Amino acid sequence: KWKGEGTTQNLESIVIGRCYDYIGIVNPAVGEKNCSAIWEAFKNAFINKDPCNILPNDYELFINLSFHTIPPNKSLFWENNQLLVNSFAGRGRRYMSLADTLFGFVADYLNWCGQANSAGLDYESCPTTEECENNAVESFWRKASATYAQHSSGVIHVLLNGSVVGGAYPEPGFFADYEIPNLQKDKVSEIVIWVVDDIEGPDIESCGTHTVKILENRLKTLGYDVTCTDNYKSVMFLLCLD
Amino acid sequence: MPFRPGSARARQRSVLLVGSAVLLAALVLAVVLASLLTHEKQEVGPKMMKWKDRGTTKNLREVILGRCYSYVMARYPELGDKDCLKIWESLKQAFIYKNPCNITSEDYEPLMELATHPIPCNKSLLWSKTSDLVHRYTKSNQNFLTLEDTLLGYMADRVSWCGDPSDPGINYESCPKRSECESNPSSVFWKMASKLFAEAACGVVQVMLNGSVEAGAFRSSSIFGSIEIFNLNPDKVTEVHIWLMHDIGGPQSESCSGHSIKRLKSILEERNFKITCVDNYRPVQLLQCVHNPDHTDCRLCTNTT
Repeated sequence: KWKGEGTTQNLESIVIGRCYDYIGIVNPAVGEKNCSAIWEAFKNAFINKDPCNILPNDYELFINLSFHTIPPNKSLFWENNQLLVNSFAGRGRRYMSLADTLFGFVADYLNWCGQANSAGLDYESCPTTEECENNAVESFWRKASATYAQHSSGVIHVLLNGSVVGGAYPEPGFFADYEIPNLQKDKVSEIVIWVVDDIEGPDIESCGTHTVKILENRLKTLGYDVTCTDNYKSVMFLLCLD
Repeated sequence: MPFRPGSARARQRSVLLVGSAVLLAALVLAVVLASLLTHEKQEVGPKMMKWKDRGTTKNLREVILGRCYSYVMARYPELGDKDCLKIWESLKQAFIYKNPCNITSEDYEPLMELATHPIPCNKSLLWSKTSDLVHRYTKSNQNFLTLEDTLLGYMADRVSWCGDPSDPGINYESCPKRSECESNPSSVFWKMASKLFAEAACGVVQVMLNGSVEAGAFRSSSIFGSIEIFNLNPDKVTEVHIWLMHDIGGPQSESCSGHSIKRLKSILEERNFKITCVDNYRPVQLLQCVHNPDHTDCRLCTNTT
C-alpha cells in the first residue's frame, strides 16, 4: 500500500524497554518517568488516524512526559554522520545529541505508523516523506528536533560531514529547517561548527567553502558568535607520519 | 489390711493427675528438644542476603526484552529467528531463587544456546583496558564487533542481576562483588560469554590494547589474558592483529616492542597464531584526534618529509 517499511516489530516492548533502560542505566539523573504513560502518549499521537495527517504537535503530550533538561554546552547537532555522532557523543557523557535524550533515545532507528479507523499499527508498510510529509515518523522528528533546539543552551556544537557530495550543510534538512529556527538566541553563547571527513574518506567540503560557508553566513546574520574547525588537518598529520 | 473405698478413688485421681503432668512434661520436653535440634539460623520472616555491589537493575525484564527486540528487529533482522521471550526466561531461570555465590556455567547453558549467533570472519574485536575507545570505534565503524556488539553482550552491558533463595527470588538491593565470591551471576556470565565469543572468532582477529596503562598493556589476570586468548580456535583463526593505542597526550608506557606484548606474542605463537602489532592504529587514532583536534599529537605537521 505505502512505499516505506512497515512498523518495527515489537515496537511497544522496544519503546518501553528503552525508556526503563534510559532512566535506570543510561541517564538516571533524569529521575523517575512513567514509561507506560510515555508509551501511551507516543502511541496515541498516531494510531486511529490517517497516517498522512500526523502533525508534530500530536506528540506534545509525549514530549511533556519524556522531557528533561539538556545540560548547557552539551548540545550536539549533526547532518549526514549518524555513526560518527554516536561515537562522538560518547553515550551522552561528552555531548548529548538528540538520540542521547530520553525522547530521542526511545525512537532512534525505529519506524512506525497507524491506520485510519483502526487501533492497530501498520506492520506492512508506512508512507515515506515523499508520499506525504505529515507522516508519523517525520512529524515525530520535527517535534523532537524543535524541542531539542529550543532547550539547548551555552556553546552549541554542530558536526557536519565533509565527505558528502551535495553538501555538508544540506538544505532542506532537519538542522536547517527545524533546529536553527528554534535556537534561543538569549540562551546560546556560541555556535561551534566541526567539519569532519569520514574516516579515510574524501575531503570535499571544509570551513569557509560551499555549503559550510552558507551555514556560517546564515548563523552570523542571525546574530550568533560562530567558529568553524576542520578535522582534515588531522588526516594531513597522519599522512605526514608515513 | 482393710481397703478404705474413698482412698481408691482418690488414688485414681492422683494417678490421673500425675499421669497428665508427666505427659505434659514429656510433650513440652519433646517440643523443646525438637526445636533445638532443628533450629536453623533463620531470622524472623524471610530476608535477603546483603552484598556490596549494586542490586538487580530495576525493570530488568523490560530492559532485556527491549534490548533484545531492538537488536534483532531494528539492527540485525537476519537474526529474526531469535525468540526474545524465551531468551528472557532462560536468563531469569539462570539466577532466580538461587544463592548468588553458587552460580555455575551450567546455569547459563540454555541462555547461551538461545542467544549466541555466528560472527562473520575477520570482524571480531577483542579488547582490554580500552572500553571507551573500542566501543566508540565500533559505533562509528560497524565493520568490527566487540562482545558488547553481539546480542548477548548488548543485552547484558551495564546491567546487573542476582537472585536469592527467599521471595521474590531476585535481589534488587544488592549483589555480590567478585571479592565476596567468584561464582556470582555477573562474573560467571561474562567469563562464559567471553569464552564463547573467542570460540566463535574466525579469520583475522583484532585486539585493542592500552599502551598508556602503567601496569602493562597485556595482563594475564584480565578476561582477555585469562580466557579469550586461550579459547581462540587455531583451526579457524589465522592471525591476531594487535592495535596498541596510546591516550592522546597520555604516557607511552608500552609499545609493540614492550615486555607484556612480547609475553602475549609468545603465548599466541605457541598456539600457532600469526601475530602482528601496530602502534596507534591509524583509523582509531583518527577517532581519538577528532576529540582532540588541537592537541600537538593531532596537529598539522610542520616539516614535510
